[in-house]
Amino acid sequence: MPLALETIRLVKRFGGLLAANDVSLAVEHGEIRGLIGPNGAGKTTLVNLVTGVHPPDMGDVKLGGQSLRGCAMHEIARLGLVRSFQVTRLFGNMTVSENLMTSFFARRNRATGDGTKQIGNMLELTRLGPLADTQAKKLSGGQRALLQMACGFMVPGSCYVLDEPFAGINPVIKDAIIDMIVDVNRRHGATFLVVSHEMAIVRRLCRQVTVMMEGRVAAQGTLDEVARLPEVIAGYLGKALE
Amino acid sequence: MFSTELVVQTFISGTMIGVLYALMALGITFIYSIMRMINWAMGEFYMIGSYLQYALVALLLGPDLWWLAIPISAAGVFLFGLVVQWSLLKPIFRKPPEARDDYATVVTLALLLLLRSLATGLAGPNQFSPGSDLPVVMVGPLPMAGARVAAFVFALVALVLFYLLLRYSWYGLALRATSQSRVGVQTAGIDVLGVDRIAFGIGVALAGLAGALLAPVFLVYPTNGLITTVKGFEIVVIGGLGSIPGALIAGVLLGLIESFGAAFIDSAYQNIYGFALVLLILALKPTGLLGERGREA
Amino acid sequence: MRGQELLLAGAIVAGLATAGLPAAAQDIGIGLVVPLSPPGDPVGGQLIRRGAELGVETVNAAGGVLGGRKFKLYVEDSQGKPEAGVAAYRRLVSEDKVVFVPGFFHSSVAIAANEVANEMGVPTMSLQASAADITAKHYEVAFRTHVVDPVRVSAFMEFIKQKNFKRVSMIAETTDYGIGIADETIAQAKKMGGIEVQKVPFDRTVTDLTPQLLQIKAFKPDLVINIGVGQPLDLIIDQATTIGLLPNTPMLVSYDAPVRPQYWKLHPKNGAGIYFIAYFSPKAPLSDIGAAFSKAYVGKYKEDPVYGALNGFGAIEIISQAINAAKSTDPKALIKTLETGTFKSWPSNPVTFPRAKGVYWHNWSAPVLILHYTKPMEDWKEAEVAVQYAPVVPKD
Ligand SMILES: Nc1ncnc2c1ncn2[C@@H]1O[C@H](COP(=O)(O)OP(=O)(O)O)[C@@H](O)[C@H]1O
Ligand SMILES: [Mg+2]
Repeated sequence: MPLALETIRLVKRFGGLLAANDVSLAVEHGEIRGLIGPNGAGKTTLVNLVTGVHPPDMGDVKLGGQSLRGCAMHEIARLGLVRSFQVTRLFGNMTVSENLMTSFFARRNRATGDGTKQIGNMLELTRLGPLADTQAKKLSGGQRALLQMACGFMVPGSCYVLDEPFAGINPVIKDAIIDMIVDVNRRHGATFLVVSHEMAIVRRLCRQVTVMMEGRVAAQGTLDEVARLPEVIAGYLGKALE
Repeated sequence: MFSTELVVQTFISGTMIGVLYALMALGITFIYSIMRMINWAMGEFYMIGSYLQYALVALLLGPDLWWLAIPISAAGVFLFGLVVQWSLLKPIFRKPPEARDDYATVVTLALLLLLRSLATGLAGPNQFSPGSDLPVVMVGPLPMAGARVAAFVFALVALVLFYLLLRYSWYGLALRATSQSRVGVQTAGIDVLGVDRIAFGIGVALAGLAGALLAPVFLVYPTNGLITTVKGFEIVVIGGLGSIPGALIAGVLLGLIESFGAAFIDSAYQNIYGFALVLLILALKPTGLLGERGREA
Repeated sequence: MRGQELLLAGAIVAGLATAGLPAAAQDIGIGLVVPLSPPGDPVGGQLIRRGAELGVETVNAAGGVLGGRKFKLYVEDSQGKPEAGVAAYRRLVSEDKVVFVPGFFHSSVAIAANEVANEMGVPTMSLQASAADITAKHYEVAFRTHVVDPVRVSAFMEFIKQKNFKRVSMIAETTDYGIGIADETIAQAKKMGGIEVQKVPFDRTVTDLTPQLLQIKAFKPDLVINIGVGQPLDLIIDQATTIGLLPNTPMLVSYDAPVRPQYWKLHPKNGAGIYFIAYFSPKAPLSDIGAAFSKAYVGKYKEDPVYGALNGFGAIEIISQAINAAKSTDPKALIKTLETGTFKSWPSNPVTFPRAKGVYWHNWSAPVLILHYTKPMEDWKEAEVAVQYAPVVPKD
């Protein structure tokens, strides 16, 4: 069985800066992989390369064994690779339901019906029901993060790439998001690549983590294994744990 | 001198022409709100609409079927818009967004010159009129050309259809979403360049519709889109770039101001009144009456 | 075989060099500045151009001037804009080395071009522009073969008197032409007395003239004078019909646009009843060259020539006669000859350009007519002659 998500020797340069330097990553089906590393390490760049925001200078991305070379962002999304943004990209003037609907329509298929059931489910799961007809721009930061997550779950994808979904969010909503991730992972067997600085959550969710530093993959293993590596402590965790 | 009758007549004529101006402004603002570019060739799509209407009525369908010619002309301009987006704009929008604006400006300006010379080359510099058999209609105390009333009614119908499309259709959802976050819709699996294509087609079709509707009233000639475009841009500035309700309100406002200025201040400066309003708005509220505070999506 | 071919090619080249070049060098350039695209009146410009082109063909077919030199016509588009007209005149004189620049449909273009002509020295001839300043400035270079404002307005007054109109509205474009005519009308009406005049100006680029026409309707005039040129003129007719001003109130169009074939295409239903100024009627006798031109024109364009075309032709004829009489193409000599000589153009009356008073300086015009369409789709040649006004040129 092919890997759920695989990057093969990705290289991306921004001017003189090597933001992704020979990044190879292999994520198994049903795995929740953590991606950690200091700011500026190239995590978001990697996410952008995987989801088609930037074309890589070299290397390739494979989703379920299929190469994504030359695919546009929307084509990648329709193939079942769903992402969330560090800074939420919602449709501010549209209501919560309309945001969910927009995410539903382009990716819907014969099995999904007309979306009303999913909207109901998502409103219940996120407890955003009372805000269904509120414009997204009027939500709090946490509610926005929840909504963005819910948008991604409207049509189950095969693989989710989440860029710092827990940053700057209150603990209640953090738990709600964690529940959603675990639920989708269990029920649909979806694969996750989660970028986060919150070691407690990473420890709870991820059996394996990948550490990025200066555009490279610096280490890989369980969080406890990588936390023992001197270069990781020196470059990242030492500071993170201070 | 200032009889009530004249005031009421001026009000009606200003409102009616304002709605037609708004159609043009709506096209400009709609394309901008989706694609974040200004289509400088808007007047040429108006011009094409008017020529199509003339050709259909004078050569193909006959004057009795003018009402059928109008949606056909608008559809013709819509299709032409799809072709223009596909062949000229899409390649620009494939690239990263940095210089997109400048490229789009150059491309649409070139298109403006090309289409104008093409019209002069194909149909000559003379003016044409598709004519109209519609009787004069009394609108309150104001007798109005049937063609003008018909244009007004068609414009209202088009505005309602446009609203319904945006509000209640799946495509409307995609269009509204795209106007707020181009990256967001792509993440949702929506082909943003495909949305652009439809948006550009609809935007220029609004101009084409105005051209077809006004062909019997304001005549058909190669530069007939110019003045309507100028009004369209004035309205966009007054109403706020990217604001659809702003375009409608400002359209009617401009029509009224021009009519009243011409009737009660000095008729020689009809074109100046709207411009004065533009300057006033720029000074007081640079984003326009209903414009967004910032330009970012 | 190969040698023969080379020889032949050489002969052809030599032949071209000897026969072609000197002939071209002898050509006499004539410039023509007319509006061929909006915002000018392209139809008006096109008709003058046709006449001038046929005029050049006629002169050249008859052996040219000065014993065999041919005319070459350089046509420039003024777009009805003064700046474009001035640029055109400069180009014609400095690059194409023309000796004479006729044309000029829009008064503002003629006035601007004359300022430059006054410095550069090559004479102009305004063929269908009627503002006073074109000749009233008494420039040596400025000639005209068109009805001047006072004459046109005198014809209006003749008409107003004859019909006993008391209230007259004018809808006038804010150009030299429109305002010139409107102000002259106000002046002459004051002199005549007993007439109330309303002046409603408008910008040429405005397409919705309903507000202006509503004002006029509220004035309840006996006569509306339509002082628009080109597309505004047609918009006024249509929009006046709409608000019920036409056909109840008579409308007088200030120039001969309604004789154009386009008129009935644009106004198939509301074109009847219109009065309009015209400068030519087939009932008036033509000169021999005018008749020959008319025949050639019908042969080429399958329609009768109108005034613009006749005047375009006339300008070429007049300058060919002047060059022959002056035995020179020097601008100064040409101006002297035009001022003193008597020439033949399309009407039967002789053409002169005396140094006369006021606007009549260097000015010659055919009699002014007011024609009336009495039924839809009427041929302009059959239009009723409502007024025939022969200009009285004040003697010096
Ligand atoms: N579009 C871009 N253009 C230029 N430089 C970029 C761009 N995106 C990211 N970078 C640079 O690449 C490096 C990695 O950034 P990023 O991937 O955002 O790091 P992380 O998400 O790990 O904090 C940074 O130095 C950043 O400034
Ligand atoms: Mg980041």
